[in-house]
Amino acid sequence: MNNFVFKNVRPFADGKFGSPVTMNVTDGKWVGETPEAALTVDARGAYAMPALFALGMDFKEPARDDVYTFRDGFRAMRLGGFSGGLYESPANPIDGIQKLSAVEQVFARSGLNMRPLGAISEAYDGKALAEMMELSEGGAVGFGDGNRDPGTPRFLRLALEYGAMTQKRFFFLPMNYSLRHGAQVHEGVVADTLGMKGSPRQAETIALFGLLELALWLKIPMHFKQITCAESLGLIVHARARGLDVTCDVDVHHLLFDENDLFGLDPNLNLHPPIRTSADREALWNGLESGAIQAVSANHTPVLRQDKEVNFEDAVPGAVSLETFLPAIWAELSKRVGDARAVELLSQAPARVAGTSAAEFAFGKASDFVLFDPSLETEVAGETFAGQVRNSPFLGRRLKGKILGSCIGGTWTSRG
Amino acid sequence: MSALETKHLLGLRGVSRGDIRQILDTAKQFREILDRPVKKVPSLRGLTIVNLFFENSTRTRTSFELAEKRLSADTVNFASSNSSVQKGETLLDTLRNIEAMKIDVVVVRHKGTGVPKFLADNSRAIIVNAGDGAHEHPTQSLLDMFTIESKLGSMEGKRVTIVGDIRHSRVARSNAWGMTTMGAHVTFCGPATLLPRNREGFPDVTWESDVRRAVHDADAVIALRLQKERMEDSLLPSLREYRNFFGITHDVLESAKSSVLIMHPGPINRGVELDSEIADGPNSVILEQVTNGVAVRMSALYLLSGGRANE
Repeated sequence: MNNFVFKNVRPFADGKFGSPVTMNVTDGKWVGETPEAALTVDARGAYAMPALFALGMDFKEPARDDVYTFRDGFRAMRLGGFSGGLYESPANPIDGIQKLSAVEQVFARSGLNMRPLGAISEAYDGKALAEMMELSEGGAVGFGDGNRDPGTPRFLRLALEYGAMTQKRFFFLPMNYSLRHGAQVHEGVVADTLGMKGSPRQAETIALFGLLELALWLKIPMHFKQITCAESLGLIVHARARGLDVTCDVDVHHLLFDENDLFGLDPNLNLHPPIRTSADREALWNGLESGAIQAVSANHTPVLRQDKEVNFEDAVPGAVSLETFLPAIWAELSKRVGDARAVELLSQAPARVAGTSAAEFAFGKASDFVLFDPSLETEVAGETFAGQVRNSPFLGRRLKGKILGSCIGGTWTSRG
Repeated sequence: MSALETKHLLGLRGVSRGDIRQILDTAKQFREILDRPVKKVPSLRGLTIVNLFFENSTRTRTSFELAEKRLSADTVNFASSNSSVQKGETLLDTLRNIEAMKIDVVVVRHKGTGVPKFLADNSRAIIVNAGDGAHEHPTQSLLDMFTIESKLGSMEGKRVTIVGDIRHSRVARSNAWGMTTMGAHVTFCGPATLLPRNREGFPDVTWESDVRRAVHDADAVIALRLQKERMEDSLLPSLREYRNFFGITHDVLESAKSSVLIMHPGPINRGVELDSEIADGPNSVILEQVTNGVAVRMSALYLLSGGRANE
């Protein structure tokens, strides 16, 4: 059924959520007349906002479809209210046109606005250049490091110099892997108190500084994924002032947790990059408020149960987040930056980073939206998540706000 | 000594228009000789020329040797693979030893920029650069210009596009100097990793990364040989992608003039920088370049030695 009547919704328009109205939707289009044979949903005053756009998504298939599949990922996106996302899989580097064609066929069937990032090197090995010109012509919206060591400075220079011909943006997770030294947590109180190896902020800032210097030299538009600390933000703001086209995002978990939360040693909080101090967390919020940070990243990383049901340090890093993203972040985000900017940070802003447009949401137009009630609560349980993975730090918790469902490409996905 | 303003031929940078004109004009006469049944003149009889090749070369060395023999010079070949260089002799000692054998002209090829200049500074012999590193290869440029002029008349106002590994190409550099001196316009085209970044030191050439734009108004297109080492050195992802974006193909030439000359300094990587149907097609003058190379080298050697043909 493609006809819907959403009663008592407060649609987002002109920067605010309006008074409750009835929204009629036919084949994804927000129309005036009540469609025939429509499914009626009573939203009871819930917000209707433009569907979200995700940064940082890895669905594992095909190399690790034992963990998670495209189907799982697309389902998670609809459950979480995402109509599109930037796709980059560390497990499956898109380093050649055949791989790009294969994922694009899958993306085309998803009904979602999926944008692939190409790899800068073959298999993310940081040694041999990927065929970036062909990938760019084939639809790669930018190029990334797959959250892996991008190689020697000389290789990076050549990759950027070569890739600059595509005029696309380069995406990096700034990390000096030598300084990180395999650490899974921030080098701070928790690491030293509990006797774990720590990864200092400088593992991020030193790598970031090197990348910014290359960007400035070679005139490369760059995006930095999952910035974790004030020092990094300072470097980025300074680089922007020097005329660099540089953007960055912050991992949603880094806004919601700090290292004190790690004393519980929940392996689901073993994330890459690591969660840092409460001061860093506050700096990231300030960065969102000031506009220094362009978007909030989902950093959706599925990990098998058996890879998380181990001691903290031996757990595979990462958390799934698409399904919990909106309720997890909304209350604090809207309080800090207001509704209008909050919507912008979750939809248009990340879509711009990916070189595409966000979901449209307006009367008379094809509209992708999510129904979200900030006054209800989400109880995060195993069945909250698509697929077989459960690696969420919110598991067993209650989040403020609840997604009633999403209407994307004319398909209604109910959260019950 | 030299019938030219220049004493040696170390490169085309700084060589006068008059000198280049004289070499090209004299080469015409030698070119005619090459079509005769007896292809030999006594011009350099009694002169001794050593071909000092520190870098492997077949065609350039053969071309020089033929030019020398057709001018009736005495020639000796010195290849580094079987020489004292392998035993640790310095460049200067090698030169002094050769000079002690009363050599008049040294034709030198070396992987290092500036070796011909070093020899010229330290020797009484006439030095001809047969290629030094990625610096210059003046006789290649002279034969390129000779070939273009033989087809299209004067270089003045002609547009020449050179496609490929400009960064590592001595042919590209010599052509930039020589051709602009002769009034032609040169366009360099290649992937960003194979183009020099600091361009202020070059003559006034156009830089381009889109091969179709680069060839669209060209009178001649020179494809450069792509060294496979460039892949191992992370400068390029693959020969396939290079061919798809920078190879001279039938498709690319649809953007060019129908009369465009197709040139290559050789040896060709068929299907990489140049498709076979183009290399062997009606616009290709690649084999004529090879023939002209002998004539141009005869001309250069003859004029540098004082133009003593009629003495």
